Amino acid sequence: MEKPLEGVRVLEFTNAVAGPVAGFVLADLGAEVIKVEPTHRGSPAVVGPLVPGAPDRPYNRVPMFNELNRGKVGLPLDVARPEGRELFLRLTALCDIVLENFSPRALEGLHLEYEDLRQARPDIIVVSMPAFGRTGAYRDRRSYGPGVDAMSGLCHLTGYRDAGRPMKPGNFFCDYNAGLLAAFSAMAALWHRRLTGEGQFLECALLDSELPLVGDALLDAFFNGRPGAPLGNRHPWMAPHGVYPCRGEDAWLAIACPSDAAFQALCQALGRPELARDPRFRILTERYRHQDELDEEIAAWTRERDAYEAMRLLQEAGVPAAPVLDAGQLHRDPQYAARGYFVPVHHPEMGTAPVPGLAFRYQEMAATPARPAPRFGEHIDYVLGDLLGLAREEIEALESSGVVARQPRLPGAPSAV
Amino acid sequence: MAGPLNGLRVLEVATTVAGAYCGRLLAGMGADVLKVEPPEGDPLRRYGPFPGDVPHPEKSGLFLHLNQAKRGVTLEVGSPSGRDLLGRLLERADALVHDLPPQRAEALGLTPEELRRRHPRLVAAVVTYFGSRGPYARYQGTELVAEALSGYMSITGEPDREPLKPHGFLAEYQAGLQAAVAVMAGLLAREARGAGDVADVSVAEAATFLMGGPPVLAYLFGQVWKRNGTRLIGMGDRHPYPSTLRPCRDGWVHAHSNNRHPDLLAALVGDPWLASPQVLEAMTAHADEIDARLDAWLADKSKWEAVELAQELRLPFTEVLDPLEVLEDRHGHHRTRGTFVEVEHPVAGRVRQLGAPVKLSATPWQVGRAPLLGEHNEQVFCGELGLPREELVRLRQTGIV
Repeated sequence: MEKPLEGVRVLEFTNAVAGPVAGFVLADLGAEVIKVEPTHRGSPAVVGPLVPGAPDRPYNRVPMFNELNRGKVGLPLDVARPEGRELFLRLTALCDIVLENFSPRALEGLHLEYEDLRQARPDIIVVSMPAFGRTGAYRDRRSYGPGVDAMSGLCHLTGYRDAGRPMKPGNFFCDYNAGLLAAFSAMAALWHRRLTGEGQFLECALLDSELPLVGDALLDAFFNGRPGAPLGNRHPWMAPHGVYPCRGEDAWLAIACPSDAAFQALCQALGRPELARDPRFRILTERYRHQDELDEEIAAWTRERDAYEAMRLLQEAGVPAAPVLDAGQLHRDPQYAARGYFVPVHHPEMGTAPVPGLAFRYQEMAATPARPAPRFGEHIDYVLGDLLGLAREEIEALESSGVVARQPRLPGAPSAV
Repeated sequence: MAGPLNGLRVLEVATTVAGAYCGRLLAGMGADVLKVEPPEGDPLRRYGPFPGDVPHPEKSGLFLHLNQAKRGVTLEVGSPSGRDLLGRLLERADALVHDLPPQRAEALGLTPEELRRRHPRLVAAVVTYFGSRGPYARYQGTELVAEALSGYMSITGEPDREPLKPHGFLAEYQAGLQAAVAVMAGLLAREARGAGDVADVSVAEAATFLMGGPPVLAYLFGQVWKRNGTRLIGMGDRHPYPSTLRPCRDGWVHAHSNNRHPDLLAALVGDPWLASPQVLEAMTAHADEIDARLDAWLADKSKWEAVELAQELRLPFTEVLDPLEVLEDRHGHHRTRGTFVEVEHPVAGRVRQLGAPVKLSATPWQVGRAPLLGEHNEQVFCGELGLPREELVRLRQTGIV
């Protein structure tokens, strides 16, 4: 099937999570993404469990690396060496977009800033993803994605109502959000270039990417001087609204009633029509006030039931409800299966695993991972030989001098996070 | 200066955050986004927050935030006359985003299949909570319910408590962003293919996407990683630590190791145990003890002091800020960068709103205000579609616009 970005080529020079996400989104959409990676792949055991396999190449079996880099072409290249930098610039000349997410100082030191890249290709689109931006008081602050969640207000606003402490949303929320926004922005810049021939520099700071998601809370602070507080699983006006324990271990059903009608339907489905007439619950304002009592009534029903069965009963009655699925259950859910959300990707050293895809299906085009993450050094001949036209002896000379590497040189710091 | 999508025409029929955020992203990039609201107004006009807690359809914070730099018309798209006008607007549009429930989309001929068939050059994104096909296509959704199904709640919250919904509309925002990605890629492909395409976007899947690795780990290892408080999940015992939120004298900080130099934590806290080989070998395995030593160091420091000292040592610590503190901007970071802009609105007055989430050097992000209810009816229906004025009056009298 056709993919929307066929013919687009991207040079990715990233670490951590946000940059690789931007790269794999463009790769899923059909771009050829060349990932320039360090000539070491770190010490893989540090980043988490390894998939069993060939004992001499553990670095090819890091699940997180392989998830974040599916669909890419890999080139281990030491850009700090003059020959490495030269190759980077020659690759830039063949690409439409360069993605990077190092700290502002790092690229300065390597002389690989926008102005340098523009000399190699005048209409290049460069997307930079610093944590806080290339200007401002926090320019040189270090942070990973979760640290940005703290500074956007998101951690303060997320939490249990009674815990009195901030909470963190998921694992790498900030990075996935910023990666998607960077991919979108790069495509918008590509649109402009197709019409005008003009390239440009894009700064997609992680913090800036996240602030829109708390936009209403920032306006409450502006309008009303309020710092905001976590609502837990409650809603500003819907009631009931929360998760309720079901039969089994750590099994929960989410229920939300956006209207009186939905609440009446819920009471019917629970076999408790009298609750809909109860003065504590009959109208929204009273119901909102008496949520703790109402939650008890609902939980008494859900506790006796399997979460999926409870969802079916409530949804048939027109009540918004769904089980809280976990990472394993997602693979077995009928809706995820019917839509083909997880795409099986075969990795030669890791086997076949279903990889989470983008959240949409086109009617005609495809937008799914096409190949596994690159094994270390796998694409040296393709990138240096086929794309750049280097002779075999030249490639061998680069290998023996350590500018490129077919095997990780030094076990260093972890590369995935 | 114009944005990169200057000249593109986008139609937005949104009733949730998802469709509106997709439209906002396209408008920010300079597309001419026309928001089609029902005559009584977008439901988000009722959402708030409102200045002084006085509800007013032109002063809803969420609406003002999501609809900057768009134009707006009102149209009862359920009526035959409204449908006809919507069809004429669609003929002139490059792209459409809508987030109508599947039943309503069917009634209006706006399902992905119908749109594809009837508007061959249109690029569209149709957003629903669970996707417009599959066994749950007709199920009722909300933000909470979509987040539950997505798996995201299973990785948010304390391990010994109920799963937790993150603040606000994270899943709907992500669906809007995914829709914008789908539309943008579809537009880029349109010239080469000579055809548009329609993306069927699922809010639940957009939140699953945010989870990253855990579903893959669950498949590979048969082990399900779940919520872990404020610590990362899925990391082995040997992964550097901390990555967590810890209390200090006046609030909380996000404490993170320097993953390339995990021993720097010992230098910060002045505690050699933290740099001892058995700790550095397996920092995550020592997380509780590391927290305790860190807490002792943090106890007498403000979050600002603690972060400054840590950052001086290249340790990625940050302050946990509330929205008021984000606005106050103690170190002037946002002031220097123009993160916030003052937007003048004829009814809501001067509103401090977010500026560019992405800074583009040649074609800047577009700021602007949200449209008033029906503000561009005359401009669009008479000026652009060529409707005689008396017809617009008639449509207004019958409640269609």
